[in-house]
Amino acid sequence: MKNYNKFVSYLYILPAFLLVFLLLLIPMFQNIYYSFFQWDGISQPIFNGLSNYIQLFKDANFLTSFLNTILWVVFTLIFPVFGGLLVAVFLRGIKFGNFFKSIFYIPITISFVATGIIWNYMYSRQIGVFNTILGLFGIDKISWLVNVPLNTFSLLLTWTWQQLGVNMVLFLMGLTSIPVEQTEAATIEGANRWQLFIHVTFPMLRPITTVVIAMATANSFKVFDLIYVMTRGGPYRSSETLAVTMFRETFTMSNMGYGASISVVLSIIVVAISAVYLRSMLKKDLLYY
Amino acid sequence: MGAGKKTIIYIFLILLVLVWLLPIFSIVLAAIKSPEQFNTTSFFQFPTKFALIENFKMAIKQWKLHEFFLNSLIYSVTGGVITIIAASMAGFSLVRLKPKFNFPLFLIIYSGTLFPFQMYLIPLYRIFNQIGLYDTKIGMILVYSALCIPFSLFVYRGFYITIPKEIEDAALIDGCNSFQLYSRIFLPQSIAPTAVVALFQMSWIWNDLLFGMVLTRTGSARPVMVSLASMSGVSGGIIPYIMTGVIFTSLPTIILFILLRKYFISGMILSMAGE
Repeated sequence: MKNYNKFVSYLYILPAFLLVFLLLLIPMFQNIYYSFFQWDGISQPIFNGLSNYIQLFKDANFLTSFLNTILWVVFTLIFPVFGGLLVAVFLRGIKFGNFFKSIFYIPITISFVATGIIWNYMYSRQIGVFNTILGLFGIDKISWLVNVPLNTFSLLLTWTWQQLGVNMVLFLMGLTSIPVEQTEAATIEGANRWQLFIHVTFPMLRPITTVVIAMATANSFKVFDLIYVMTRGGPYRSSETLAVTMFRETFTMSNMGYGASISVVLSIIVVAISAVYLRSMLKKDLLYY
Repeated sequence: MGAGKKTIIYIFLILLVLVWLLPIFSIVLAAIKSPEQFNTTSFFQFPTKFALIENFKMAIKQWKLHEFFLNSLIYSVTGGVITIIAASMAGFSLVRLKPKFNFPLFLIIYSGTLFPFQMYLIPLYRIFNQIGLYDTKIGMILVYSALCIPFSLFVYRGFYITIPKEIEDAALIDGCNSFQLYSRIFLPQSIAPTAVVALFQMSWIWNDLLFGMVLTRTGSARPVMVSLASMSGVSGGIIPYIMTGVIFTSLPTIILFILLRKYFISGMILSMAGE
């Protein structure tokens, strides 16, 4: 490299570095530190070692929240991810494919908050769209967001509505990158559609599938807005996931230390999952050097 | 493929599309009905009178949505601009000036996208209260910028790596200093990464609920999604007003997506990081 001023080259990085360092990295370490304290946010924090973490495993609310989070992850892999793959495969070589695609694309453009409010109306017991439609067939009103465990599944349906399009777009991208010769060769050799999918399409989709799964899993662990807007995690904390429990413990119940420990657990899980796709990214990245 | 199978696929897709359109159809109809008409008709019946404008006026009057709308507009634009400048400068330096430790520095900044936001909430809430940034626009802009920079840096850095060295060498012969190299050669070529950053990060800022709830209290700093969320909080809210609010507050991101839609795919590829 030519001899640019070494000191100046750091100046270009400084604003980005300072913002991230002061507002994200230092707080992150402080948060880990707080997780070892009992602290209500007002009085002096009291060091209590690992007891916040031990308490987690005895806390019925946390365990419910943890199980719900796992449910979200499993459901996400089945409906928004596998459903997205299915729709992407179906959309290939079909008339009006672009029209269908753009419909599934619409929810991507609106926020989780807006989505939650729209679906609150869909699910509303008295005036809701679903109950009105069911009423036409003489079916009684259903409390979509109140009955346990139906409320979590109702939230998951909304989540699917919002997320399927993203995964569909990614899988379509993967599908178009498969060379036509490959599929043609297999068809000439007499493969049917299913064999084609299993032996040709799917193996070629594997790299993108890994990333989509890792991203979708990490995102479903982090879900907050939708649940907060639609049920506030209720009734009786039955639809909480880890991110919602963290918020409630911290800012509603003022258990700052305990809330911090939940966020640390959540982070460990999310970072472990992200490592799956980060590793491949960094490996590739190092090639530039 | 058999005609029968194709028919099944079409039926499946059409049914699915109908499910996907139902919420959109329902809220648009709800938003154009007056509250009286909404209460006396079923969701699928069309109104006799178009009341969207009236509903909009009421949503503004009752919830002061326009104030929060303005706050979020300030956050998205200012946060977006700060992010674009800071991230492109840093990316330029990391790739072309290559100071010592450029890769560790990149990793440190990039690590800001790894952790869930819950990791930052408590300390930020506390620090902001102590230094007077709680419930201020400046505080929100700083937080949003910091949260947007890591991914944006990744985008710019990845893009700058692909700029051919010859261009830069030509500039060097012309006697450019590093700032001229950045502002005359790199920045003007950065349309694609800037579009990706604008699309993903500005719409993320606009859509944020969490930081808005934790770090603001009053209308002077509250972002729009927090006020939108509060519209539905009380049961028995007036649906036509609420749905008009939903449409009004979703317009900026919808417009952004329509304008920059061709960058959506490249942005998704980038956020999947080098697969």
